[in-house]
Amino acid sequence: MSSGKYWNPILETLPPEKLQQLQLKKFQNIFRWAYEHSKFHHKLYSDAGIEPDDIKTFDDIRKVPKVEKSMMRAIQGKDPYPYGDMLCVPLEEVTEYHQTSGTTGQPVYQADTWQDWEWFAEAWAFVLYAQGYRARDRVFLPFGYNVFIAFWGAHYGAEKLGCEVIPGGVLNTEARILKMQELRATAMMATPTYVLGMADTARRKLGIDPARDLLIRKITVAGEPGGSIPTTKKRMEEAWGAKVYDHIGATEIGPWSYECIYQSGLHVNEALFLVEIEDVDTGELITELGRRGRMVITAFDRIAQPCIKFDSKDIIEWSPDECECGRTFRLIKGGVVGRADDITKVKGVLLAPTSIEEVVRSIPGLSDEYEVLVTKKGDLDDITLKVELIPGQERNVDVIRGKLVDQLRVKTGLGYNLEFHEYGTLPRYEVKAKRFRDLRPKE
Amino acid sequence: MVEEYKIGDMAEKVQLLKQTATELKRISGGIQAVDRNVDRILASIKMLEINVSDILDIAG
Repeated sequence: MSSGKYWNPILETLPPEKLQQLQLKKFQNIFRWAYEHSKFHHKLYSDAGIEPDDIKTFDDIRKVPKVEKSMMRAIQGKDPYPYGDMLCVPLEEVTEYHQTSGTTGQPVYQADTWQDWEWFAEAWAFVLYAQGYRARDRVFLPFGYNVFIAFWGAHYGAEKLGCEVIPGGVLNTEARILKMQELRATAMMATPTYVLGMADTARRKLGIDPARDLLIRKITVAGEPGGSIPTTKKRMEEAWGAKVYDHIGATEIGPWSYECIYQSGLHVNEALFLVEIEDVDTGELITELGRRGRMVITAFDRIAQPCIKFDSKDIIEWSPDECECGRTFRLIKGGVVGRADDITKVKGVLLAPTSIEEVVRSIPGLSDEYEVLVTKKGDLDDITLKVELIPGQERNVDVIRGKLVDQLRVKTGLGYNLEFHEYGTLPRYEVKAKRFRDLRPKE
Repeated sequence: MVEEYKIGDMAEKVQLLKQTATELKRISGGIQAVDRNVDRILASIKMLEINVSDILDIAG
């Protein structure tokens, strides 16, 4: 049997038409569950005139109303406290509490039963197995174990694979690096920002070259788009001498997408999730390859606080590329390239902040850090990019400036005020970085 | 690839596990050490259903 490549060869190689049958069946089940157990969902669907028996075909799923994060915020803080009436189980069945990071507003509370938590780890097991994690791996998790879900699920997913998991929680960066060295860890997981930051700290403060002196050969990144930005990924892989694999998940959704060892794009785990891509303006379903839209997602098996037709506002596109791995799970190209409420117009031009990162990380004389400020001068938008020169590169500043101007113009279609700052003076982040600041008055 | 696997046989065993666990809880007399561990076993069995049993009527 050829099961060695897959966590579950049955699901991961299911022909597309059968996968769609499975998705319809699972959608029907979770829709009925939410309709019958959550007052919030019952009202939402009743108001829309749709009941469980109305979902007969795959196309019927399009009739189901979407849920937005603002709706979740509106009901939380009420009974059953603190989750509100989206909760589908009695409070005594809730065993896990987490919350969203609050990047886009007030954090959202997330309840999970033990079964949900098993499912979360199961979904992570698909991710990690596809990325080559095996029982022989010693996995270091350098994140603050707290209310944010971050790599909690990865911890249990890695355990499920039989990996040895080292929780690098309340250690500082230097201590984490030394612990990885001491224990000969073979894999780790972090945000792209922290992966680069750790390598920088290792070199500058400890005289450790991660690629040479550590044994980390697999890194899973999440929480930021860097894992799918080629120049950022290249920097991480070179700094650590490791393969870097991207992963996308969210507190209220689950771990829904991942690169496999072939790094051809991110597979959507279509056995556990239904991903629909909609036109940002019209809401029309996008099935063609290479056309960007906003993601609407359903998690089929999460029961305490279901995620059904959740409008994530993430901008993604189906990839025209095929993956050598043999999985029939479709690929998305370039990860999450922005958010529907984040891709903004500057000087009349649509700007995705990921394009700026791609340019900065492509220029060797610049450090990994940068910051973008958008302001208003009179009636005109003004955009400033702050970067750091690597020590010793000061004499090359004019060449670097020229490359930046040219590449930014090509990639983003905009001119920038460029500021060169002393190395180490821009903010460093451990988790999600906030490098893009739109300071224009809200209209 | 789906044909290589004995999905029906596996699904049958998963069902037996579920019945056994449920029956164990029914006769536990409310012993928490039994009930709570059975709940965890049932959560794991649910993962087996997701991985195997749910596909039974589709893969065939």
